[in-house]
Formats: sequence, C-alpha cells, structure tokens
Amino acid sequence: MSDLAYLTLTEASQLIRTKKLSPVEYTKALLDRIAAVDPAYNAFLLVTAESALAQAKQAEAEIAAGQWRGPMHGMPYAAKDIFDVEGLATTCHSKIRISHRATADAFVIRKLREAGSVLVGKVALHEFATGGPAFDLPWPPARNPWNRDLHPGGSSSGSGAALAAGLVPAALGTDTGGSVRNPATCCGIVGLKPTYGAISLSGVFPLTHSLDHVGPMTRTVEDNAILFQALTGYDPADPTMTDRPIDDCLKDLNRGVKGLRIGVIEHFYTKDAAADPDQVRGIEAAIETLRKLGAEVRTIKLSPLPVWTDCNRTIHAAEAYAIHERDIQDRPEDFAMLTRNRIMAGAFVSSAKYIKAQQLRRALCREFDEAMHGLDAVVTLSSLLLPCPIDDTPMVLKTYDQQARLVFNVTGTPAISVPTGLSKSGMPLAMQVASRSFGEATIYRVAQSYCEAAGTTITSDPKTQPRLVAASRPAAAE
Amino acid sequence: MSSENKVPEHVRLLAEQAGLQRALKMFPDGVTAAVERGLRPLPTPAGADISPISAPASIFDPARFESGK
Repeated sequence: MSDLAYLTLTEASQLIRTKKLSPVEYTKALLDRIAAVDPAYNAFLLVTAESALAQAKQAEAEIAAGQWRGPMHGMPYAAKDIFDVEGLATTCHSKIRISHRATADAFVIRKLREAGSVLVGKVALHEFATGGPAFDLPWPPARNPWNRDLHPGGSSSGSGAALAAGLVPAALGTDTGGSVRNPATCCGIVGLKPTYGAISLSGVFPLTHSLDHVGPMTRTVEDNAILFQALTGYDPADPTMTDRPIDDCLKDLNRGVKGLRIGVIEHFYTKDAAADPDQVRGIEAAIETLRKLGAEVRTIKLSPLPVWTDCNRTIHAAEAYAIHERDIQDRPEDFAMLTRNRIMAGAFVSSAKYIKAQQLRRALCREFDEAMHGLDAVVTLSSLLLPCPIDDTPMVLKTYDQQARLVFNVTGTPAISVPTGLSKSGMPLAMQVASRSFGEATIYRVAQSYCEAAGTTITSDPKTQPRLVAASRPAAAE
Repeated sequence: MSSENKVPEHVRLLAEQAGLQRALKMFPDGVTAAVERGLRPLPTPAGADISPISAPASIFDPARFESGK
C-alpha cells in the first residue's frame, strides 16, 4: 500500500491510462489508508467510501472500453467541506450547518465529476474558513502529519493534512487570506491561489465575496497544474468569473527559468515583520537556486506588509459579517470562539472604512501592477513563522497575520506556495511564487524549475515524507 | 462584579446598536475586542493616492449579471 499512497497524480494517471493501475484498487487502497491513518490526523469529516467505489468502478469500465477522459479520470480526491456536493451536507466544519444538505454540485465538483474523478470524502477546515483550529466544535481540528502537536495551517487544514499523510493525490481548498497556501506551507505540499475569476465560486460557501478563491492542492507542481486546468472553465452562474481563456500551464512547464526576470519582495520578511531564521534561510537558498538556473533576480519594494494586512482584514471583516450577521446575533454560542471573535469585528466596521479599504485596495493593485513592469514573477515568503502548537491559542492568533499570502488576495493575482526544505526542527519551509493576473503558466514554470532542482516536494521516496504516527487517542475524545 | 459589568459604555452601546446583546451577555471580552478591531483606523500608505476622485469605489456592472441569463 505504501507504494500507492505517495504516487503523484501524474504517475497515477499514467498508470491508470495504461491500465497498469485499477482505479478501483487505487481507491480501495486509499480508503484503507484513510481508515488506518486518519484517526491520528482528523483530516476527514466524512469518507464517502460507497460512492467513491461506485465512481471508481465506472471510471475503470470506461477506461477499459477505451474512453479515457483525461488525467483526472479515475483519480481520487478530497474536497474541503465548503464545496457543495449533491446530497451531502456542506458543514463548513460548523455546528451552524450540521443539518444542511446540498441540492446540487458546486461548479468545480461538477467539473471533476465530468472528468471522471473519484471523491473519497470531505475534509476539515477552520470553521467557515476563518478563525483557527478549534476544540469547541462537533469535529476536532485536523493535525499536521509532520508533527501532530503543531498547527497544520488553515483554513484548508484537512486538505493539506490529507495530502501530506498520503491519503489522496489531490484536494480542493479555498483561499481568502492565504487558506490554500498556509496549509500547503505548513504541510510541505503545493497550493495555488489562482487569479480572481479564473475558477468558479458557484456552490462554494462564501467567506468574503471579493477576496475568495478556489485553489488546487497537490504534492507536486506538475500535479497542481493538471488539477488547476481541470477546474477552470467559464461559469456564467458566477458573476465574478472571467471568460478569458486560461493559458496552457503544462506546455512550458519544463522550460526552465533561464532569462526569466524574478523580483524578490524581501522587505516583507526582513523589515516589515520578524521572520523565523529558518524560513529566511529557506527562501534565500531558493533564490540562489533560481539564480543558478539562469533567472535574473532583483529586489523590489511594495507598501509595508501591515498596510496590505489591514486592507485585507477590513474587507474580510465587513463582508464576512454580512454573511453571518443573523447567526452571530441569534446564536453566537454555536460558533467556535476564534471564529466568533473574528467575524464579530465586522459589526463595527463602518461603511466609510469599508469603502476606504476598497479604495486602498485599488491603489495597492496599481502599485503591484507597476512593480511587475519588467518582471515575469515575484517571490516572497509565505509564512514568516514556523507552525505553532495547535492548542496554543495566543500563538495561533499571533501567527495568523505573520504572513505574506493575503497580499495576493488583495491584488487578486495568482500565487503558489512551494516547499523550500525543512527547518532544524523538521517542519516544512516554503516560499511563494506570484505573478500578474493570468500568470499561472509562468508561476508553474518557475515553481517547477525550482522544485525539480531543489527536490523539496513529497514524492514516493520515503525520505521526503513525514513520519506518521498511530492515533494516540480516538478523534472523538478530543 | 461580572465581567459584563466591566464593559465600557461605548462598547455596550455599539453592541446593542448592532443587535449583539446576546453575544455581549455571553462573551463580553470577545465583543470588547471586536469593537476595538472594528473601529481601528485604516492606515494610508505613504505616497498612495486614494482620493475619492482618482479611486472611486467599485462600480456595479449589471451587464455581468445579465450575461448569464
């Protein structure tokens, strides 16, 4: 089984296409692994074993009949429990929505269903994709496979944990202030926040309408590009979508970075806030690798990180409160403490402050656009600090804004988190590669070139994988 | 004296105005912190031009919604 657990999506797809791997056997093997391993990590809120096996059988029959649909055909995946799946609850990891039932698939779930993919279950998140890891909810928080006592990142925490633990080769997350890239960073996987409007938000429970993004999460860059392309496509039901065609992200994936011009937003982690020395060493080594691979690298300057943070958090608070106002007024005790405190701040953001934040956002977008002149991509840190203990609430709150991910939710431009190695304490380090709107193909090219050269992603080689532990106590006891 | 009684008067008034009496009664510290965060002024980056003339608020475009019909 361990041979199948850490197959990349690319490897599994090739084996499935050539009929060397049965989608049914692959799905069964991953379901067995989820049953054996997940009690220690709580990645899954719901395992859909029966429907997964039915979908896998259908994929197998189609492939046997010569009807291969593409690289996601027969591919198991997990979805953050914020995506509607017809007939299932979209709980958002919240008591508030425990009795919900979705009447239709989210657009991206439908896309993957049409691609012949196999949904093995719905995974944990921070309640309503905000707050933090909470112990006062109907389900425990997901744990970090690299060290189950530490924060796996969030809010797409179950997606990150499931990938790092070898439970699925692909997962869906959402990202409003870094919620795909944070678990990607903390769990040593790859997570993309695409361009705003590139992937439909239909059927995804909103957190902050103007900052929300759906993002693909995988263990390698190539896998991420494959999943990203499977999720795109114009959806007229989502008014935020663009009908601009997405560039082929696989065509130039292995072209290397020779001649590409890469900016480094260094002041975010050297001047604006204190960063962990291991994180800084990780990105400095990565920049040196990119230089050696032939990229032209220079530092650039943007507004200080706290300005971006305040802009993002003001919009976040106001828009999220508009969604949850009635429940916060009528049943505040049914939210986790971290979620409630975060959302309640929106009740006191004036309309003037919200509009000024949107005006500031425009100014910051212009600033980023101008900074990108003469550049193909930029790099900066993702998390400034290492994952903190999962039950240390003051540290969770402290690390919440010690990050440079929310910058790219403000601009709506794409950014990916890729691993840059391990800290002295054995925890994953990461950096972001970002670019201008619809620059995903360039981002993937830079990320792939770096990760191939540095060998920092989780693969079938056990030396690259976290050492998992058996469940120390039943999930329900937490 | 309960912690609710320590809540500053402006916090109580704002919370009641926002319909958060229940939250104030159950979680006075959380509401107090939320008021502080919500009222904190937004910084202006040096050199950024965000006057209402050069950077109006987003414009609602009904055509985007009609195109899906």
